[in-house]
Parts: sequence; structure tokens; C-alpha cells
Amino acid sequence: MNPGDRVRVERGSVANEGVLMPSTTADHLVVKLPGGYNVGIDREAAAVEVLERDVYDVESAGEDADASTVEFDDDLPTVSLISTGGTIASTVDYRTGAVTAQFDAEDVLRAVPDLAGRANYRGRVVANILSENMTPAVWQDLARAVHEEIEAGADGVVVMHGTDTMQYTASALSFMLETPVPVVFTGSQRSADRPSSDNVMNAVCAVEAATSDRAEVLLCMHASSSDDACALHRATRVRKNHTSRRDAFETVGAKPIGRVDYDDETVTFRRDGPERGATDLAIAPDLETSVELLKFTPGMNPAALDYLDDAAGVVIEGTGLGHVATDWIDRIEELIGAGTTVTMTSQCLEGRVCDRVYDTGRDLLDAGVVEAGDTLPETATAKLMWALANRSDPAAAMRESIAGELQPRSVPWT
Amino acid sequence: MSEYDYEALGLVAGLEIHQQLDTATKLFCACPTERREPENAVRTFSRYLHPTTSELGELDEAAVEESRVDREFEYLAFDTTCLVEEDDEPPGRVDDEALDVALQIADLLDMTVVDQAHVMRKIVVDGSNTSGFQRSALIGQDGQIETDAGPVGVEDLLLEEESAGRVAETDAGVRYSLDRLGIPLVEIGTRPDIGTPEQAREAAERIGMLLRSTGTVKRGLGTIRQDVNVSIADGARVEIKGVQALDQIDEIVRLEVRRQVELLDVADELAERDAAVGSPQDVTDVFADTDSGVIRGALDDGGRVQAVPLYGFDGLVGRELQPDRRFGTELSDHAKRHGAGGIFHTDELPAYGVTEAEVGALRETVDAGPEDAVAIVADDPETAELAIDAVAERAQTGIEGVPEETRDATDEGTTRYLRPLPGAARMYPETDVPPVEPDPSDVERPELLTETVERYQSEYGLDAGLAEQVAYGRRMPLFERAVDAGVDATFAAGVLESTLTELRRDGVAVDRLTDEHLLGTLRLVADDDLAKEGVDEVLETLADDPDLDPEAAVEAAGLAGVSEDEVRDAVADVVERNADQVEQEGMGAFSALMGECMGALRGKADGEVVSDALREEIGKRT
Ligand SMILES: [Zn+2]
Repeated sequence: MNPGDRVRVERGSVANEGVLMPSTTADHLVVKLPGGYNVGIDREAAAVEVLERDVYDVESAGEDADASTVEFDDDLPTVSLISTGGTIASTVDYRTGAVTAQFDAEDVLRAVPDLAGRANYRGRVVANILSENMTPAVWQDLARAVHEEIEAGADGVVVMHGTDTMQYTASALSFMLETPVPVVFTGSQRSADRPSSDNVMNAVCAVEAATSDRAEVLLCMHASSSDDACALHRATRVRKNHTSRRDAFETVGAKPIGRVDYDDETVTFRRDGPERGATDLAIAPDLETSVELLKFTPGMNPAALDYLDDAAGVVIEGTGLGHVATDWIDRIEELIGAGTTVTMTSQCLEGRVCDRVYDTGRDLLDAGVVEAGDTLPETATAKLMWALANRSDPAAAMRESIAGELQPRSVPWT
Repeated sequence: MSEYDYEALGLVAGLEIHQQLDTATKLFCACPTERREPENAVRTFSRYLHPTTSELGELDEAAVEESRVDREFEYLAFDTTCLVEEDDEPPGRVDDEALDVALQIADLLDMTVVDQAHVMRKIVVDGSNTSGFQRSALIGQDGQIETDAGPVGVEDLLLEEESAGRVAETDAGVRYSLDRLGIPLVEIGTRPDIGTPEQAREAAERIGMLLRSTGTVKRGLGTIRQDVNVSIADGARVEIKGVQALDQIDEIVRLEVRRQVELLDVADELAERDAAVGSPQDVTDVFADTDSGVIRGALDDGGRVQAVPLYGFDGLVGRELQPDRRFGTELSDHAKRHGAGGIFHTDELPAYGVTEAEVGALRETVDAGPEDAVAIVADDPETAELAIDAVAERAQTGIEGVPEETRDATDEGTTRYLRPLPGAARMYPETDVPPVEPDPSDVERPELLTETVERYQSEYGLDAGLAEQVAYGRRMPLFERAVDAGVDATFAAGVLESTLTELRRDGVAVDRLTDEHLLGTLRLVADDDLAKEGVDEVLETLADDPDLDPEAAVEAAGLAGVSEDEVRDAVADVVERNADQVEQEGMGAFSALMGECMGALRGKADGEVVSDALREEIGKRT
């Protein structure tokens, strides 16, 4: 008796015939009845008869080939679709019951037929992982893949990524790559296995952005709860600010940099940025991964810093203008003395750190802490990894803007 | 029309009954199960839906057909809805109260409760669910109810979420209201054990009574919906959706049997004539100079006219299948499903501004002779093409007999085409909600309403009619509370049923009266703080100003505090004024003066107290 078999299960006075499905619990058989319902039946109390073996291939259901054969059109730009896993094209894992990514880029075309006719597509799979399992090593693989795709002639790149850590990966690529074409991250907040998924509009808008004239790393996700437009965020200024909403991503400290209207498929930008072709393609993929992000909370034991003794870099998410408790300052000074670069960001997220205002701040500056301006803590973490591996003076790099992450003026209404 | 011999026709019918539950919160979120008016919406948003493959890798036919119509859905959200209804937050766990009520219902239907209930996603891409699916779980199997014509098996009991309410068609699609989405709903499916229209109605009534016996079902229009599955021996399974009124069920079954009988007859006739459906073609040229308003309008907007020749169909397109519904209406329904306004066919032409000459030219263009029929659609080019294909397809199935399909009930008891029958492929597991293991031993079996009626008669002395009215009425729980609080049962029943009905007829806004208003007023009477005669006025006052409590309403109505002494004084005054009459008639003047006394006291005093005082006062003078 295996999943996929047609079975007859008797339990008390009720007999059910149907297809055996994988069960998530040991105590129950799960049978799909002819009407489509699944029902769990107490394994011990049930008498099972296998009527026919392997009626359905449960494992590969939903993956049937019938691949779309997309023809090449000389008049269309070429967009490289790079998949890292995540929910833009995912399906249900019937063993764990969880939603996981199982599709490659080809499947995305099948999942989102609306993409056809907008570009010629090149599919590529860099990873097939949930975004919480992402690592800096995958960021590097991804940066190299994007670089290769652009080198091979892609007019734009769309990276499909799980939303949980999309902002980290997109930030990291902003530092690692200099790009003459758009590199657009997108994903979906509501799984692709539901008719209401945001994957279709996000993918379509991302392709539109990838064929636009803005050559930087962008993040393209729903602008509101409606399926009417996607916001384009600068990768280094964006944050996932909601667990489940379609419009979870927000640009912090400014309005989104642009917008893709779904109805008329126009891409508009509200602020200047690098034009297509203005920059030569370059890659600097090295990262110093011994960097940690530490959020300070009241009364927190300074021993938390002991774990960071050998770290190359530490990003602190301090309170308010960029503070930690006074009794932390000596420990921080020791760290810096031992060669760790320590940079300060704020858990306020909105606004800029300024350690010149209060005594604690001045003491932190004296201890050698580097202010990261209004750089977001997550962005600062990716940036510090990159700066430690690529810049002779990482501290100086943290004070300047490399990829739009540190805004020169605080004008959040623009 | 004479009644058919249903047994000979092989009538097989089943019911699917959907009943909203009156729980405190929705099935998958903590929002109240409260209905709202569209104008109270606090925000709106819009979405598209895209069909996906199911767990078994198949696209559902019904889902695909729905999605062909690329529609934008607009949703109204309220201060009583949350992100779960907006499909912007995963659902919570199955609501405990809803599950308990479902288990109660399973018990009343003699069903076996499943060991483990799995919440499924039933694909629905018409926009009525923001997610694109309806969450539904199988709770019970294998039950039975009794009817006069024998037992009817109950196949399954489902606990599911109610869909969003349709507010209006918009230019781009449909507007829905989220207040209804997520209200717990039970769906009860009977076996196809029903053999006559009357039995269908009786089974529905029986199930309705059992549902109401739980005391936790919603009442009022739209809170219960009946679907009826009907087929006859050579016909096909037809699922009729959305029968609102119980007393329509027998008529719906009767008319559907008639439709299938007529369709079979049409099919026989078509077979005899060796009928065939030709290829659709563009006949715009025929109507280049037409004066037909419909066609002219379409052509002026850049539209085209498409035609399909129906060889051998002459006279049959106009055949009546149900009152006011012809075979041509069936073809038209399919055209409408694809966005067209409808069709014209040669059985009804010349008419609608289409001339005899145009009909002749039309027949000639598509090579149709006098024994043939032609159907046409005029609309924008794409719609006209889709619509005429749909018409051709439906005409083709007409040659074969009765198509299996889902139909929509009309107010007249007839039906119209809605969509293909849904397939089993439209289900996949709702992985956001873990399976639940229901424990049926937790729930108590409620008193059946039939038992309640008997109890009201034996215990409270209500007559059979009033007992039934109260027991089946929506104020039954309130009645029980009032009686528990010491209010006389007959009096409480009279107020809650007759008085309120009379007040409503008199234009009093009785809908604004809360349970607390009613209970409070009844208690004032029970505590002798208000005369029975003053109840109408107090309720009217409360309906005018629902912010008042009953005590304040008594004050406001000027009915408060009439002491026995005041009653005596008022009665004495009346007797004094009518001294002559009393002298002449003695006690004979009683009824005339009683009315005057009550008027003088303006209902402030209890009738019995007044009559005692009056009797005494008259006695003094004679
Ligand atoms: Zn809610």
C-alpha cells in the first residue's frame, strides 16, 4: 500500500474508496475521495484493501511536462529568468504539507503564460532553496550567474527569490555588481499554487522593469493590496515590513523609486538613477562572511559580544540615534581594538544615526564605532561583508554611499 | 400540463443544502459573522485570479471556462473584516464553535464523523473567494433522514467558508463584499434517493428543521441555499444552484424533469431528421444596411455578425422547454456566458428589425434550406466569435440529448445555464490549516424543533399554531429566556409573534428592537411595573429611540408610576361623569365605562386593576 494506490478503506460502518495520499501523521491514512475531499482515517481501526496500484503518480503530480516551446523573436529583448527557489513558482509538498519551490525557470513560463510575448527568455536555476536557507555563498553564485547572463547578452535579468530574505540578497548584489542593464528581484507573498497568487503580476511587472532603461538592482513587488501596480524599490533601501501582505515591501526613508502599472504596462521612475548602458559590466563577488548583525535590547548582557570576539565586522542595531547601554562601550572598544569593524545602525529603521548628540554616542564614536548614516541594518550587514573583502578602508566605505544605500539628504517625502 | 409518472421516467434527485452558521466568529479568523451594507465599506481593492493546476495535475474544466473571461474583481472591506478575508494573511485554525455546531448537525443527521478532517481548497475562480478557492472540510459521512416516501441517505456533511457576496457587475468584472466571506457554512449532500418533486421538498424541509434545531444557524434571506441535482433515465445529471425558497424545490424539480423530457424529444426529432451543426461563419455583409437596432448598434461599434447553420433544426430552436424558455434560450445562455448579449435565430425571425429579405440572404449565405435553422450573434469581433462557437457547441449536444451541467435557478422555478459540472480535480489540500480530529462525544444533541413544539403545548399551554410559530421563529431563544425570567408564556409568545407583526404593519421599525429591549419590556410586565396594555407604546418608543432602555421608555411614554390610588381616583372621576348612566344601567354600564377608564389612564394601568376598581365603584352607586 503506497501513496497513489486506489484503495478501499473500511472503518466501522463506513467504507471509502479513493486514492491513498501521503499522510503527515503516523496515526492516519489519508484518502482522496472521488469528490476530491481528503479524509484522515484512523490507521489502526481501518481495514484496507488495495484495489489498483499506482493510479496516480503523486510525487510528480503538477510537474507534468507539456513544456511551453517559446519561439525566439528578434524584435523582443532578451530577459534572463534566474530562479533561486521561493514562492513565485512553488507547489505543495505533500509529504510535509508545506509549500516549497520545485520549479525551474522553464516552469515559470508555464506557470505565468502572461509572460509570453514580452521578451525572449533564458531560464537558469542558481538554487532551489527557501529564502530563509539563503547564504552569502549563494549570493555569490547568483552574482556570478547574473554577470554571465549579462555578458551573454541578456538585456535584463529577473531574479525570482523567496521574499523572506530577498532584501539581503538584492542588497548584496547591488554591491557586488556594476550593471549596464536592469537586475530585478521579484517573488510572491501568496503562494503560486493559489489562483489569487501575486506571482503573475509581480513576474509580469518585473519583466517590464527588466526591459526598461534603468540599470540598477531593483526589487519589484505589489505596490498595494490591489493587483494594479508594482512598486520598484532600490534594492539597498527596501525592507519586508509585513509577514503576509502582498505589499509587504517598503522603501524606507523615501518613496519607492518607480512603479510598473499592470493595466497599461508602463514603467515610470520618480527619481534619477543609472541609465541602461551607462555603466560597464563588472563584478566584485568577494565577501567577508564573518560579519554579524546584533540588535541591542535594554538590559542585554554584554557577554553577547563575547561571541563576536573573532568577527571581522559587527553591525549593531542600536536604539534611537544609535545607542547601546553605557556598560557595553568598553567591550566594544576592546573589539575594535582587536581589529573588528563595528558599525552603528538604528532599530528605528526610519532616520539616520547620529552619535554626536548624547554622551553615550560620543563615547561610542571615541571607541571607534562607525556611523552607517541612514543605511538599513540588513543592508549594512551585506555592505560590511562586501566592504571588508573589497575596500582597503572598510570603515570609510561604511560612511559613503556605494549603491544608493546611504541617502545624502533626509527627504523621506520624495 | 399533466403530472409525469416520475417513477417511469426514472427520476433521481438529490439535494445539497448550504446553511450559514450563527457563530460568534468566522471559520478562519476572529472577525464577527456580521452582514454589512456596501456603503459602509472602509476600503476597496481589486484583484485578478489565475487558474492553477490541482494536486493531481489537472486543470478543472469549470475553472478553465471561468478564467476565459478575464475579469477584474473589486472587493469591499469593512471595519468588521481583516486581512484573512483579503487573502493577505494565512487563515487561522478551524473555529471551535463552528466545528461543534457541525458535529451537532452530524449527530442530528445520524452521520459518522471522520477521524481526521482535512481542510481542502475547492477552486472557485469567479472572484467570490479572494483566494481563488473555497476552504471546505469533510466532517461527516453516511447519514439518513426520514420522509413520508421513505428514507433519504445523507452522503456527506461539509464545513466550509461562505463566499463573498456579489454586489454588482462592474465594467471590468464584478464587485464583491467581504462581510460574508468566511462565515461558517455547512453543506449537506443527500444521496440521489429522492424520487418525486414532493419528496425533494419534504427532505429539504426536514433537513431545514434539523439545522434550525441547533439554535446556531443564521436566519433570513440568503442564509440557506438549496442546490438540487436532477436527472431522468435517459437525461443527464443537472446541478441546479441557488434555490432560495424551500417551497420552490418541488416546482424546480418538476420543471427540470420537463426540460429534460423536452430536450430528449428534440434530440429524437433531430436524429430522425439527420440534423447537423455547420461551421460558424462571418455574415456581417448580410446585415450591412440593417435597421435592426441590436445588430446596427454592434456594427456601428466595429462589431461583426457571426452565424451558425443548424441543419435540420427548423422549428425546434423555438421549442418551449420550460415556461418562457425555449431551446433557443439555451443557445442564448451559452452566448451570454461568453459576453454576448444573446442570439437571434430563424425560428423567431423576421423580428427585432431583421427583415424577411435579410433572413433570406442569411439562409443563402450559410447554405441553409427551409428545413434548417440559423443562429446569429452580433457583437465585437472577438466576443461574437467566442459566442457563436459556444452556440454551435450547445446545438451539437442538443443532437445528442441532455448535457450534464450546472444551472442557475430563476425566481420562476425555471433554470438557466451557468457552467459545466465541476470535476473532482478542483480540490487540493489547504496546507495553511492543519487537519483536525473532531471529537463527536463532546457535543450535546439539541432538542428537535418538532419536540419543542410539543413541549410548548404541553408545558406552556400554547395552542399548536402559536407553539409552532414560536418554535420555528427566529425569536425562539428570546422566548425561552423570557419564560425563564418568569414572563407568562402565552403573553410572551403573543408579544414576540403577533404584537411585533402588528407593529411592523403599522410602520414601526421593529427591526431596531434588540433582544434586550424585548426581554426588558416583558420583564417589566412580569414584575407589574408595566401594564400589558402599555407594551405596544413602550416598544414603539424603543423603536423610535433604540438608545433608551425599557424603563426609560416607560417614562418617556408617560406610562410610569400609576398607583392603585391614582387608578381608583381616575375610575371614580369617570363614574362621576357618567352618574346618570350608572344609575340607569347599573353593572350594564361596565363595558362602556371600562373603555373610558382605560383611555383616561392611557394604558398606564393594568386592565385587571382598573376593572376591579370600576366594578367596586359602580357597586357603590347601585
Ligand atoms: Zn477576518
